[in-house]
Amino acid sequence: MAAGPLLALLLLAEPVAAKDTTPRTDTSCVSCHGQIDAEMVGALANDVHFQKGLSCHDCHGGNPASGIDDPALAHDKKKGWTGKPSRLQVPGLCARCHADAAFMKRFNPHLRVDQLSEYRTSVHGKKNAEGDPRPAICVDCHGVHGIRAVSDPRSSVYPTNLAPTCARCHASADVMKPYNLATNQYESYRTSVHAKALHDKGDLSAPTCNDCHGSHGAVPPGVGAVANVCGSCHGREATLFRETEAKKKMDLSLCIQCMVCHDNHAVQPPKPEMLGVGPQSTCTGCHSPGDPEYQMAADMANAAATLRERLATAKDTLDRAERAGMEVSADRFALQEGQNKLVEVRVLTHSFDRERFLAAAGEGTAVADGGIAAGRRAFRELRNRRLGLGVSLLVILAVITGLYLKLRQIEKA
Amino acid sequence: MSEGGRADAGPGLRGWLEERTGVSLILDLAHKKTVPLHRHTIWYYLGGMTLFLFTIQVATGILLLLYYRSSSDEAFESIQFIMTKVPFGWLIRSIHSWSANLLVFVLFVHMFSVFFLKAYRRPRELTWVTGALLLFVMLAFGFSGYLLPWNTLAFFATQVGTEVAGSVPGMGRFMLRFLRGGEHVTGGTLTRFYGIHVAVLPALTTALLLLHLLLVQRHGMSRPPGQNEGRTMPFVPNFLLRDCIGWCVALGLLAALAALFPWELGTKADPFAPAPAGIRPEWYFGWMFQTLKLLPGHVLGIEGELIGIFAFGVGGLLFVLAPFLDRSQEKRRVSLGFTVAGAIVIAYMAVMTVLVYLPGKP
Repeated sequence: MAAGPLLALLLLAEPVAAKDTTPRTDTSCVSCHGQIDAEMVGALANDVHFQKGLSCHDCHGGNPASGIDDPALAHDKKKGWTGKPSRLQVPGLCARCHADAAFMKRFNPHLRVDQLSEYRTSVHGKKNAEGDPRPAICVDCHGVHGIRAVSDPRSSVYPTNLAPTCARCHASADVMKPYNLATNQYESYRTSVHAKALHDKGDLSAPTCNDCHGSHGAVPPGVGAVANVCGSCHGREATLFRETEAKKKMDLSLCIQCMVCHDNHAVQPPKPEMLGVGPQSTCTGCHSPGDPEYQMAADMANAAATLRERLATAKDTLDRAERAGMEVSADRFALQEGQNKLVEVRVLTHSFDRERFLAAAGEGTAVADGGIAAGRRAFRELRNRRLGLGVSLLVILAVITGLYLKLRQIEKA
Repeated sequence: MSEGGRADAGPGLRGWLEERTGVSLILDLAHKKTVPLHRHTIWYYLGGMTLFLFTIQVATGILLLLYYRSSSDEAFESIQFIMTKVPFGWLIRSIHSWSANLLVFVLFVHMFSVFFLKAYRRPRELTWVTGALLLFVMLAFGFSGYLLPWNTLAFFATQVGTEVAGSVPGMGRFMLRFLRGGEHVTGGTLTRFYGIHVAVLPALTTALLLLHLLLVQRHGMSRPPGQNEGRTMPFVPNFLLRDCIGWCVALGLLAALAALFPWELGTKADPFAPAPAGIRPEWYFGWMFQTLKLLPGHVLGIEGELIGIFAFGVGGLLFVLAPFLDRSQEKRRVSLGFTVAGAIVIAYMAVMTVLVYLPGKP
């Protein structure tokens, strides 16, 4: 429906010429609109485009060299003036530059130029192409006249700001109502281990919305893609999971995979209790008493619990021995292998391979038992040392007494 | 000894030895030697105590040599092996470390007692000078031995210590390269420190100690001013037996410290790791370390650290030359100025050392 104006805009407009990178304030646009809407013009000071030497007419067209007293000359359509582009026009307008590899290289050779083509694959982009102006367009996420570089921590799409940016629409019941979408994603995400790492600890490697859904090509991951999405970070778990699928000739894609146990937006830190048949188990959601898998879950949980308990005992024993002054650093180093096995066992949960899991847990438990034995040896040695000290002090005391008596005898004589 | 002297030497082993060594001369000297008895006699035992602790250092050091390996790849592991696998290795290493610290402490007390009792005065000036040089050698033993376990604390403390030596004007650069065996503290530094610790310093100690003991025997024990006449005690056996009692107490103390507080090994040095917080030298260098820390960056346009190092150098020189600066000695007066100066130095060293270990003072 808006194809006519959009086509006219694209035909009239050309990618802006290469500029020097000095911000331009000497235009009639800035002079005039600075008086009408000082806030909008003021925002340009922080705008990455403005800082690189681009100005109003590079997006809106017109004659920036006209006098301040002649708006008609400034808004000359022969000079490509388009006014405010519609929401349907904006993606194409931004893509004039951002899809032009030769042009973008002048500013940064590493910048991507596929944003528009990705956007067209997203739910947002498809709706936009269908003529629905409400779904997100470039300016909804990046801003309009105060667009900051993505690497700027004050940018609305910087990792720590992205989820709140998405939530502006996706947490709004009014905005989501026409699309019949839930609005609790952000609330759920904020309780997740990912959000705690990113927002509370400032770990920029932790995922936010776009890491799972994509940025410009944002779509909900399909049920068959969930393990791939999670596996892009949790590689070992995803590989084991895929191996299980292949080995058992199963297709677990319909089970929405990772989410069954870990949830999607509200991913919690994995707890030992998730494995097994206890009240907090995720296994019992699908498997009932009598199933072979039910017993397997119980066996795996018991083996993991034994390993954890032995490792804790070994660590405690060695800690106490060290505090008592014994040299146990080599034994503590050896115990690291047990901790590694515990990590391996947690990962092996995703193999659903009982024998492999129990073998790794058994190896870890043997290492932990070695640590406990070393700690006990250290305490036996400590007791022996103190006993030896007592005996030595008695001998020394006897010698001192003898020397003293001899001295008295000599001095009396 | 002449053929005729054989009959004079007497029968048995003593006679045999006498004929060949003239040992009776030493025994006669020992029996004739006396120790003055007065209210300060107790300070005379510190010299023997220092010698005893040094003997412990030599004995335990030789035992440690049997297992210690002086390369950066093996030093830490070899000490770990000594502490965990070698029978009584933990005891030998802990006694070596504790005894080193006790030795330095007793040496300082011995030195200050000699200073306050004016025992350095004529004709004992050279006894004092050899003693002062021995103190420096013992501190060098401590500094070089500290690095040998190649643990984190020792590594960075050595880095700081050699940097201080490197900031001496003129010859600092040479000293830094000489001590480190290059620009940085590396395995080469460890090998160098090991060589200094087990060969150079023992040779120096042997020469200085023999001279020191010879001079002590030559001049006998000094009486402090105001204690000119009085009773004496035979050195053998009365003083020697008391010495032995003191040595037994020291041995018991060392055994208890080693058994109850074995010397820590720490973690292996990693030259590429950042320096951990709380790096500080051994306690007996603490007062110098603290002084350098407290000095402002610049004083009258000169680097504060340089002023500190210069002051330590001058102080050390004055300390060695004390017998030649004490003008009151000819009048056999107490020399109040020297006594007050010594007390101020002790108070300063004590306060600065305490400051190093105060909480919040890494």
